[in-house]
Amino acid sequence: MAGLSAFPRWLRVNAEKYLLVTAQQRVAKANDLAAPLPALDVKGKFFTKVFAPIYRALPWSLRSKVLQLMPGSHRQQWSPRERKPNGPAV
Amino acid sequence: MAVRTVVVGGGAAGIGAAGAFKGANPGGEVVVYTEFEDAAYSPCGIPYVHGREIIDFQSLFLATKEQYANQGIDIHYETTVTGLDFANRRISVAGEGDVAYDRLIVATGFNYADPGVPGGDLEGLYYVKNIRQAMEWDKTLDNTKVAVIIEATPLGMEMIEAMIHRGIEVHVVDTRPWAMSDLADPDIVEPVQKTWTEAGVHMHYGVKLEGFVGEGKIRAVKTSEGEIPCDLAVICTKKVPNNELGARAGLKTGPTGGIIVNKRMETNIAGVYAAGDVTEIPLGVTNVGVQGLTGSHAYSQGKVAGINAGGGHREYQPVYIPWGMVAGKWMIGGVNFGETAATALGIPFVMGVAQGISRARYFPGMKPIKVKLLAEPKSLRLIGAQMVGGEGIKERADFLAMAVKTGITLEDLAYMENVYSPPIGALNEPIALAAQNGLSKVKR
Repeated sequence: MAGLSAFPRWLRVNAEKYLLVTAQQRVAKANDLAAPLPALDVKGKFFTKVFAPIYRALPWSLRSKVLQLMPGSHRQQWSPRERKPNGPAV
Repeated sequence: MAVRTVVVGGGAAGIGAAGAFKGANPGGEVVVYTEFEDAAYSPCGIPYVHGREIIDFQSLFLATKEQYANQGIDIHYETTVTGLDFANRRISVAGEGDVAYDRLIVATGFNYADPGVPGGDLEGLYYVKNIRQAMEWDKTLDNTKVAVIIEATPLGMEMIEAMIHRGIEVHVVDTRPWAMSDLADPDIVEPVQKTWTEAGVHMHYGVKLEGFVGEGKIRAVKTSEGEIPCDLAVICTKKVPNNELGARAGLKTGPTGGIIVNKRMETNIAGVYAAGDVTEIPLGVTNVGVQGLTGSHAYSQGKVAGINAGGGHREYQPVYIPWGMVAGKWMIGGVNFGETAATALGIPFVMGVAQGISRARYFPGMKPIKVKLLAEPKSLRLIGAQMVGGEGIKERADFLAMAVKTGITLEDLAYMENVYSPPIGALNEPIALAAQNGLSKVKR
């Protein structure tokens, strides 16, 4: 069970880290800056060479749905306040 | 019978919770446990004392110990909570034994991520957190010639500035390609880095930390590009939630490692709340949990937890994270994410960029302001912003956070009204100019 509950954390930590690395590589290239260090270990290579391209290829709507399915505070009860001005306030 | 609330942690969230509990339930009893010698000071101010911009550490305390006692907040200093027993509503306290509670608020804060390299136990590695230790480190800085900042995070940026002000030779080591690159875009940080270059800061980007070298005390920082001789290393790695106590007892944590809470800051255990850096909170724009926010977030969350623990009703809301700071001769700031973070997440966006000015062009002291706005391509709702300028960044970041929260679009911003008064505002508001430029890229 511990392994199952640890997976979302492992995925989040690594996805966040390496998606940022690949984004920084792209933005650095566009701005003619030195790129971040390439990932040399197996995990880094997997996330930058396999995970990141697949993630980018999926539409945001699908990615968002998957993210919403992950456990976390976002799945608890929250009440974002929607405000729509409707005519004069007074 | 008076409700007894126990708060674990004496930082912004813990003290905010304790005070709010007493406000909501004046007859209730609140006890705060902190492992530190003090409670409720501003750790965010420590770099500025080191930099001599704040005269002393005493200025950072929100209140005296006597004031807390007079408010009915019973703080147990230098006291470690070793366990939580939810079934019996008790906590285990070193030196005190088991302590009963009716409501429990977990506000155990954060730790800096372990750099995970050899030499981590050497003397001379400074983790900026405890104010008493900071007072001692401040004396050390008097005799420090060379300091290495490990990672150019927001704290790293502040410590670079502090070292510059103290006349200390500064190196910064980061695997990433520019300062604060997880949050800020390169064009936003570029003017800051230019002022650092002028100040003699040695920036080692794209460089890996491999270890700390020395015999008992640090002598050098070992990197993928060689050793940097130094007297001191300041560890400014990412903040990770200090969740061990809560998670071990059965509080559920999310993918960020933060304790899962709802809008009342309630955890998965009835009567147990959590607040501050130990929790994760949904980001309003994506509805994905985030962790490691600011002191103002922690304080607000603590107040929500305290009021609800005291029998009141207060709701916290998803966050939009306005941020800002002084760096070099500049101020930088923003809301949510910029181009880099949005690219990482793969969020589609349209971007508007403009260079404006902070006052009337002819008024003395006028400063440039660059604004980048990110909007959702279909609705044109604002989703993020980044800015760099000489002044007026904080107020714009706060405003833009509300704009994102309330669903304001590029069209709204492009034709917004703005204050025009030569000493404080230009004819053309930079935000409006950026929005107009963003709109020009979109065929409507």
